[in-house]
Amino acid sequence: MILSFVAYLSILLFVGISVYKAWKFAEMPLHGRMELYPVPKESGFEHGGSFYEEISWWSKPHVVSHAREIKEMLKEILFIKKLFDNQRPFWWISYALHLGIYLIMAWTMLLVVGAISELNGIHVAASNAGLWGLLIYYLSVVTGIIGLLLGALGSGLLVLRRMFDNTLRKYTTPQEYFNLLLIFAALITGIFYWGGDLSFHTARAVTANLITFTPFAASGLLILHIVLVGIMLIYIPISKMSHYVGKYFTFHTVLWDNSPNLKGSAVEQKVKKALSYRPTHTWSAPHIKAPNAPKE
Amino acid sequence: MINQKDLLPKDMGRAAGEQLIKLELNQLMPLLAPYDKPGMEPPLTDPKPAWKEKYCTSLDGYVGLDTLTRPQTKAEEDEFVRKFLSGLEKIFTDANNGVLEPLLLTFEYCAKCDTCSSACHIYQASGNNELYRPIYRSEVLRKIAKKYFTTSGKLLGGLVGADIDVNWETIARLGEEAYRCNLCRRCAQTCPLGLDNAIMTKEIRKIFSQEMGIAPTPLHAKGTMLQIKTGSSTGLAKPAFLDTLEFLEEDTEEKFGIKLKFPVDKKGADVLVLHNAGEFMAWPENPVAFAILFDAAGINWTLSSEIMGYDSVNYGIWYDDYQAKQIALMQMKVAKDFGVNRIMVAECGHAHKASMIVGDRMTYGDAKIPVESCLPLLWDMVKSKRLKLDPSKNNFPVTLHDPCNMVRQLGIVEPQRNVLKAICPQFREMTPHGVDNYCCGGGSGFAIMSSQNFPEFRDSVASRVKFNQILGAFQGTMENKSIPKYICAPCSNCKGAMRAILEHYEATEKFNLQYGGLVELMVNALVSMKKPFLEFLED
Repeated sequence: MILSFVAYLSILLFVGISVYKAWKFAEMPLHGRMELYPVPKESGFEHGGSFYEEISWWSKPHVVSHAREIKEMLKEILFIKKLFDNQRPFWWISYALHLGIYLIMAWTMLLVVGAISELNGIHVAASNAGLWGLLIYYLSVVTGIIGLLLGALGSGLLVLRRMFDNTLRKYTTPQEYFNLLLIFAALITGIFYWGGDLSFHTARAVTANLITFTPFAASGLLILHIVLVGIMLIYIPISKMSHYVGKYFTFHTVLWDNSPNLKGSAVEQKVKKALSYRPTHTWSAPHIKAPNAPKE
Repeated sequence: MINQKDLLPKDMGRAAGEQLIKLELNQLMPLLAPYDKPGMEPPLTDPKPAWKEKYCTSLDGYVGLDTLTRPQTKAEEDEFVRKFLSGLEKIFTDANNGVLEPLLLTFEYCAKCDTCSSACHIYQASGNNELYRPIYRSEVLRKIAKKYFTTSGKLLGGLVGADIDVNWETIARLGEEAYRCNLCRRCAQTCPLGLDNAIMTKEIRKIFSQEMGIAPTPLHAKGTMLQIKTGSSTGLAKPAFLDTLEFLEEDTEEKFGIKLKFPVDKKGADVLVLHNAGEFMAWPENPVAFAILFDAAGINWTLSSEIMGYDSVNYGIWYDDYQAKQIALMQMKVAKDFGVNRIMVAECGHAHKASMIVGDRMTYGDAKIPVESCLPLLWDMVKSKRLKLDPSKNNFPVTLHDPCNMVRQLGIVEPQRNVLKAICPQFREMTPHGVDNYCCGGGSGFAIMSSQNFPEFRDSVASRVKFNQILGAFQGTMENKSIPKYICAPCSNCKGAMRAILEHYEATEKFNLQYGGLVELMVNALVSMKKPFLEFLED
């Protein structure tokens, strides 16, 4: 029962805090333009250019390709393209961790789906099962094994790289080692526990107990694993590991936002609102109060 | 002094007066031929003892912040630290709304993957010196902010990175360190999380200026303050401006037989052309070339003689948001009052960014007037054959420097190279170029910062990668002095940096390396020109 509570609460807090963080960023005051080219949504300027390459740009339609933008987003989300392009050795281990996490997320969902299926009498197994049962079974095996291994390998190697790379060592704080070690510990305890049954029948049974609040006898290792995963899920969104939230805003509202403030545009309304705000803090240098400063 | 390889961010708090690192010529990135031989480069010098007494030379021996002077009393020292911390706190408040979100993102999410270092031309040029690693100064700022303004920093200290001693020397070094970055944002292009170390750098500059009243004299006292007072950062007042134009008209007629008349305050003009006023003083051939081309193409344009109407610069965007806003709004108002349909920014990169990007959200509605770059129009004039051009007149090696503000930060990539491809038979690109270009080393004010030994840092380090790019582009022709080699830099600040590096390396004298803007090449190619417009072709 307590483990069920830990599982539900940690997932709830993970999602809740992440959404709250995203909401806080979304609600932040309008900032000045800081786009950086290439901006993928610029249609017709695939060489990295923009609508500013046109004469009287304001009188022409600003053609935007959301498909290109989504394509770039997917390259970043699924492959961490910028790291691949600019720092290949680091990419291998960082990508192992991230791909591992993606697969573990998929595996967790498959365990839940598998558990619900079994609770409803649908057999999930390697044989004597229907197509659905076979699909869930094999996908769980593949995502679970590869995900746990890649995640543990990636987080472990990132710790080692930070410890033994002369540059990274200088900039890595104890907290940043802790972040990686927490993930590593959560995954290693999982590998030790779930590794005993790679068909993941045990995992599905435990999942079924957890989601239905059914009491069950849990070993010390399983309790440790579930508690560690719970702590990790709550800690990630409050730490800088919540960069999955930040990254959306760095690209979409900063680097890729080149919407000009034209008369009648949505941006104009935001600018109007932002300029009507009177800050509660002011700067103190003498020239800020210069008498010849124009009225805004 | 510390071996730079062992330098840590917290070393910024080391004892008073101790210079953290010293650059050595043999440790810098090697230059390409013909500058790969010993003795081809001026030596690096030590700061004068008097400077050590007066300024902060304890970073790397260079002085960029000439208004930052050592305190005489403990009280002054404490006040300096207090003011910095007060400013640091303010950058996270509504006093800084215009950059709050991007700042918080970069402040919070750096994963310390170090991908940015290989993108930084100053870090590369310095021979990978730790002091110039893009995350070095960002991390120092994070450490101080965490120590004083975060709960985790106050409670856990070094465990979360808040492990730095904060004293006068720490803050002063950080102030200097903010002027070891050109704000080119090349590092931000490579960051897997989309973070921007240039924001952190500029915030340090802003704290110094907006809270502490400390900024380099050429940017502030003789820059934005002078511009707001006289109308131009050159100090060029209206009568002198009009005299200059008259002189240029006479000079153009005398030299080229062209009866030129600059339209000034012309009623009913379509376009108000804004030049960097420095052009009239340092490179008058540039506004002259614009005038010749616009007349030839039949553009209905004018210059303004109103205060703030004849100087496009806005140094505020490099160090002080308040100054930037004042200037941008004053320039906008001049154009609006004048009644033109649009402003066209001539060959000045930071003026492009200031008026088209930074100024874009400073006002709205009827107070705004459309602003555009000169480059698309110049290309259109060539493409539409409105100008009769003879490319053979430009038959010498030409390469293009991409000003960061126009290319990486505005996306104006093709028009200028299209012009060069059409009118320069020996045009060749630098590597890399376009949005991946390197800064000239003069960005964010470096080109005009000439206090103490700062030009040495600029010319030997900040511009080093660019100089190598230039040498690379002209390989095979460099050592033939009879062949002029032209660096096209369509930006006043970039031209300032080019002028400085060519002098520093005596490259014009030794190898006939020339520089200038884009319009000069266009006028040089005009069929109607009876003699070369470019002076170096006259011999």
